[in-house]
Amino acid sequence: MNSTPILELRKATKRYAGIPAIEDVDFTLLTGEIHSIIGENGAGKSTLTKVMAGVVQLSSGQMLVEGEVVSPQTPNDALKMGVAMVFQESALVPTMTVAQNLFLGQEKFFNRLRGIYISAQQFLQSLQFDVDPTAQVSLLGAAKKQMVEIARAVLHEAKVIIFDEPTASLTPEEKKYFFDLVFKLKARGVSVIFISHALEEALLVSDRITILRDGKQVVTDMASKFDRERIVQAMVGRDLSQTLYGQRKTFVRRQGKRVLSVQNLRMAAMVKNNSLSVFAGQVTGVFGLVGSGRTETFKVVAGIIKRDFMHGGEVLLNGKPVRYFVPASAIRDGIAYVTEDRKIEGFFETKSIADNIYLGLLAKLGGSRFLVSNKEAAAVGEHWIKRLNVRAISKDVKAIELSGGNQQKVVIAKSLVQDPQIIIFDEPTRGVDVGAITEIHDLINRLADEGKAVVVISSYLPEIMALSDRILVQRMGKVVEEYSATEANEEKIMYAAIH
Amino acid sequence: MITAISEWIDRQLGRGSASITVPVFDGALKSNRYIEDARVLATLDAPEDLATDGAAVFVTDGAKVLQILPEGLKEVLQAHGTITALACMPGGGFALAIDGKEVCIEGGTHHGRHWRTVNGHPLCAVNAIALGVNGLLVVTDGSTELEYAQWKRDLMSLGKTGRVFELDPQTGDGKLLAANLHYAFGACSIGDQLWVSESWKHHVVGIGAGTRPVSVTDDLPGYPSRIVPAAGGGAWLTCFILRTQLVEFVLREPTYRKRMIAEIDPAYWIAPALNSGNTFLEPMQGAQLKMMGVVKPWAPPRSYGLVVRLDAQGLVRYSLHSRFDGKNHGISAAAECGGYLYVVSKGSKRLLRIDIAQTEKELTQ
Repeated sequence: MNSTPILELRKATKRYAGIPAIEDVDFTLLTGEIHSIIGENGAGKSTLTKVMAGVVQLSSGQMLVEGEVVSPQTPNDALKMGVAMVFQESALVPTMTVAQNLFLGQEKFFNRLRGIYISAQQFLQSLQFDVDPTAQVSLLGAAKKQMVEIARAVLHEAKVIIFDEPTASLTPEEKKYFFDLVFKLKARGVSVIFISHALEEALLVSDRITILRDGKQVVTDMASKFDRERIVQAMVGRDLSQTLYGQRKTFVRRQGKRVLSVQNLRMAAMVKNNSLSVFAGQVTGVFGLVGSGRTETFKVVAGIIKRDFMHGGEVLLNGKPVRYFVPASAIRDGIAYVTEDRKIEGFFETKSIADNIYLGLLAKLGGSRFLVSNKEAAAVGEHWIKRLNVRAISKDVKAIELSGGNQQKVVIAKSLVQDPQIIIFDEPTRGVDVGAITEIHDLINRLADEGKAVVVISSYLPEIMALSDRILVQRMGKVVEEYSATEANEEKIMYAAIH
Repeated sequence: MITAISEWIDRQLGRGSASITVPVFDGALKSNRYIEDARVLATLDAPEDLATDGAAVFVTDGAKVLQILPEGLKEVLQAHGTITALACMPGGGFALAIDGKEVCIEGGTHHGRHWRTVNGHPLCAVNAIALGVNGLLVVTDGSTELEYAQWKRDLMSLGKTGRVFELDPQTGDGKLLAANLHYAFGACSIGDQLWVSESWKHHVVGIGAGTRPVSVTDDLPGYPSRIVPAAGGGAWLTCFILRTQLVEFVLREPTYRKRMIAEIDPAYWIAPALNSGNTFLEPMQGAQLKMMGVVKPWAPPRSYGLVVRLDAQGLVRYSLHSRFDGKNHGISAAAECGGYLYVVSKGSKRLLRIDIAQTEKELTQ
């Protein structure tokens, strides 16, 4: 790292409909520096980085790249200036292959597909990313999509790479590769901006840390001068460290009726003879590395994907075999699935909060509701905004304009409005700030206390351990181990997930 | 017609009733070693059932009834045949089932009372006696065709001739409470209901006065057998054998079963057993039994040891196991007395004892 600034923002302000998302932010990125930007959802991190990447333009203030005042109007402009961004939500073209996505925008007049695949294969291997370049992106899991995004940024030889929550969906081993890659980029003189809610990661990899709160810069300092408590204090203005993952579970809720029984389930190569039960009044945590078949198992349960046509096993809901071909049937039977990929599957981004939540209710009611009532939609929206503490100017704000944490609350509200008996949360706090994490965790616990059967699928071990009454560990398509919350520890769970 | 077509399609596609799945041991049914690690009080010749009067515990051993004392076992009764079920009478004495074909009372105020038939129904495979309301006896009879020792043949023949009788020791009268059960094996009065194990259906049903039988706990991973009341409400349920996908598959293949029953020694049938691992002639259960000379505890079990603690609503609170690599399999009876759970492992012919408070603390904390 040297002291020459490669990118600067001076008095940067961005307003949406007159309301500042960031205000008077001064930010300096040095050459070869890893700089973390930390803050709650809604603090302005994404806006700040979107300004740098040319996605949005400043309302006032200046942006300088290598000392020159610039104003990128598009991400392509920013890329030409050497600023690339890996977005939190996938920005890949789902119908194209991995290789096509990597070289998108760099195509020649005549393209030899085989040549692209070979180049992509070599490049991905050099990054130690285990991704098939011929695979269609829509068929990849979240982690592999993230890998492709990272690879694309590296391929463009950017001088500044902005990573927005890059590790949220990566396994511990993949994270290690990722950080090795970041350090390699740094050694080559590339500057990295790193946005993460995993504070330990930020402390570990960063040279400097900037903390934002409510769109304003609170502090910028060397990473060595921070610890977890200081960061959390600066982020939220209150001490949350003891409530968030800070304390181990000392009791286990008594299990109620077996609501869901999955028996010898099979789904292509992802789910192999998987069996598990979910009980009322408990939080069942499901942990496993990416590709272990956790999400697929529960997507079969929720009717989003289908199990094998022949000898696919059985799913029993309250003792009765069920087989759903569409999610609406599962919803009507009281199964709600809160997706891990909220932007693609979770909500309609151009619809308002109230409309999105009301759509959840309509999914439950099916054809029985002939006419849509705007009045009812508004009332339902307002009720759930209040109940889940969604921070928005009004119920009519479009979902896309919300921060990650508040978008997640809308997705959850969309499911809870259906009054389900089983709620499956897939990565419920992925890309969500610490304040919203606490609220979502409280909500999950409240649902279990109310007697609902709650499933939490998470790649983040402290989250699984903080929430679950029983923890199922999946590996290679099936549950291989079960622990009660009191007997589990990180080593045991990880060992079961890997070996 | 439509049902037949639907069943044929299910059979071809391996779905619906032909999906051949078994529930998993998880949650409160998660495997442990409490039965395997239980204290062995004695090894007997032919242990079968247990009974308690609240102060003492008695175990049957062939034709004998033995009292369990701190210093050992003491014979208190010699019957005229093999005892297949035992219960302590409220006024002293025992109710016994002899060879499964006779129920008699030995000792106490109703000494000498006995039943070979009930309302014209001859008893055939009496396997459990429990105390009902108002001093009545509840008796489960597994089959009208096959005697008690032939339970495996009844399972493989998809027997559904189980019955439950209510006997009045005062008058000698009897009443048929339920019939055509898929092997009735064990009963217990809980609240205003009578819980009955229907083994081949893997569930416990509750029979109330004037109401239709309702499922108390269903889709068990084992075949439930005797039920006894537990202190603090609820009951102890023993599962004498376990379900496996292989056996479930064989049960759907009538031609195969017919030939197997006709031509092969029952000890080597593809069927559950009270103990296993004794000979290489035993059929595999879908996986290798040993790996590098070590028995795999997770291999599909031919025999197993399982006792389930149910609460008053029939929900499983916790369970005690002897896994596939253990010895204490084929749990046929349990009885709670003085803070201990006494268990008969018919497979290993052992009488076992488990400290309930300690176990409960460890399993429910």
